[in-house]
Amino acid sequence: MVTLGHYLIVSGLLFTIGFAGVLLRRNIIIIFMSLELMLNAANLSLVAFSRFRLSAAGMPNYNAQVFVFFIITVAAAEVAVGLAIIVALYRARQTTHVEDVSSLKF
Amino acid sequence: MTIGAPTLEVEVLVIGLFVLMIEAFFERIDKRTLAFTAIIGLGAVLAASFFLAPAPTEVASTGFWSFYTADPLAIFFKRFALVTTILVLVMMIDYAPIVRESIHGTTHQSGLGEFFALPIFTCVGLMWMASAIDFVMIFVSLELVTMSFYVLVSFTRRNPATLEAGVKYLILSALSTGFLVYGITWIFGVTGETNLARVAAALANPAIEAGPALFGMVLVLVALGFKIAAVPFQMWVPDVYQGAPTPVTAFLSVGSKAAGFVVLLRVLQPFFMLPQMERLLTMIALLTLIYGNLAALPQSNLKRLLAYSSIAHAGYLLIGVVSLSGEAVSFYLVAYLLMTLLSFAVLIVVAKQTGENIEDFNGLAKRSPFLALAMLIAMASLAGVPFTAGFLGKFFIFDAAIRHHQSALVVVGVITVACGFYYYLKVVRAMYWEDAASNSTVPLSGLSRMTMAAMIAGIIFLGVYPQPVLNALKAVTRKPSGDRIAEPLINRD
Repeated sequence: MVTLGHYLIVSGLLFTIGFAGVLLRRNIIIIFMSLELMLNAANLSLVAFSRFRLSAAGMPNYNAQVFVFFIITVAAAEVAVGLAIIVALYRARQTTHVEDVSSLKF
Repeated sequence: MTIGAPTLEVEVLVIGLFVLMIEAFFERIDKRTLAFTAIIGLGAVLAASFFLAPAPTEVASTGFWSFYTADPLAIFFKRFALVTTILVLVMMIDYAPIVRESIHGTTHQSGLGEFFALPIFTCVGLMWMASAIDFVMIFVSLELVTMSFYVLVSFTRRNPATLEAGVKYLILSALSTGFLVYGITWIFGVTGETNLARVAAALANPAIEAGPALFGMVLVLVALGFKIAAVPFQMWVPDVYQGAPTPVTAFLSVGSKAAGFVVLLRVLQPFFMLPQMERLLTMIALLTLIYGNLAALPQSNLKRLLAYSSIAHAGYLLIGVVSLSGEAVSFYLVAYLLMTLLSFAVLIVVAKQTGENIEDFNGLAKRSPFLALAMLIAMASLAGVPFTAGFLGKFFIFDAAIRHHQSALVVVGVITVACGFYYYLKVVRAMYWEDAASNSTVPLSGLSRMTMAAMIAGIIFLGVYPQPVLNALKAVTRKPSGDRIAEPLINRD
């Protein structure tokens, strides 16, 4: 039997993997993918909360599901803008490595 | 004649779309017309904000008014966002030649239309954020602001430093979004609500598990810490502020920070009953004050100096938040708006001729006395010299902290103010005591001169007679009984 706890553990794992990816990986594209993973971790637990916390009438909490749609939409917009910036960076520097993007230091 | 509060955002949105349409269909006009159109339009909306119909005071359980409020705090910060955007647009007109150099389009003014249109959409996001009382609304409006800042920060994309700043801002903002969303998820999971008032009501129930909700709140706090540039989430600030186009830096440091603080004031409300929260915030405020002021000391680039100064000011504002004084925070933000935008306005004009380093300001008093005076007033106010708005802002903050028995914060705050005097007066010394490399005066357009004069007048006026803003804030505190969000923040002690 799959319970709410299982979903939350998977979502927690997804969030941790995403956060670790942001901290440890050195390619900006992969960092960006990890960021999307973190958003999807939130989506998964929101849907799980919505499904397992039924109201008195036995209906799921639709607030959470609508919120998931907002997150998906915002994530899509973020990818569109973000990839455009990363492509511009690649054109200017011929690299997407974080070590090569560190000219601003004091 | 009265209008409903949400009309303001719709009007600003229409202005933004209108400017974009002109940009798309009339290629041959002077693109600066677009900026003037936007300024006039936003000015009209600002005037309209004084003729608002009173909004429903009870928080509705469903529908539009369950995630949108038009309480005096929201109206105050809507005006704040509009004024900021207007001033930033004036700066952008000054900055236009540099944008033009950086973008190689088909016509000689390519890219300028979008440069003037994007801040209007940011303004819509800021205004919605001021009214948001539901986590979904907070998330969406925060993202509208962040997304338009992604584009604005990396706008002059032929400049490698700008692009680098853009990528850093992109990664760290997206990271903070991840934290925000995951935090909201946990708060929702515990309480089953996204509306702030109902989250507070659910948390007041002792049967509820507070642990996971507190975990969620800490994640939300991390995300807001990124927005307001609090230590230890400040690492993006110096690089992004230095690399971004200067008017965008100014917008980022005032608009984005103010919105972060409004959301912070509203979001913290349900959680302040927990003593852990207050200790955590005190810790963050102390770290921010010390780091921001100490790291600013050795800076030689003025933009980077202002970045560290903006971290330091986030520390003073956090003292106000910990002391639960929404009034002091709001007044400080108004003072911060005037003095920060004034220093950036001077910086843009001077940097066009010489550069952004402090030694480029050498002898400015002989070359352009007016610009030097404007910078002097801005720096004196940022440092907190008496008879400036910055002094009274700090005074109200420390006063609130003493009344709230936060002696550690007051002591560290006063010591760091002394620290601030050193690095702000470094700029003044360069302007008045050093010799200039050249004797040419800095060209200054009539519009910018007028705006700067208005900001100088504002700083001095509020420093001597703060009553007008305080009265507007009284309206913030003396609110209808139904409002549960902002009132206890101000009258808690």
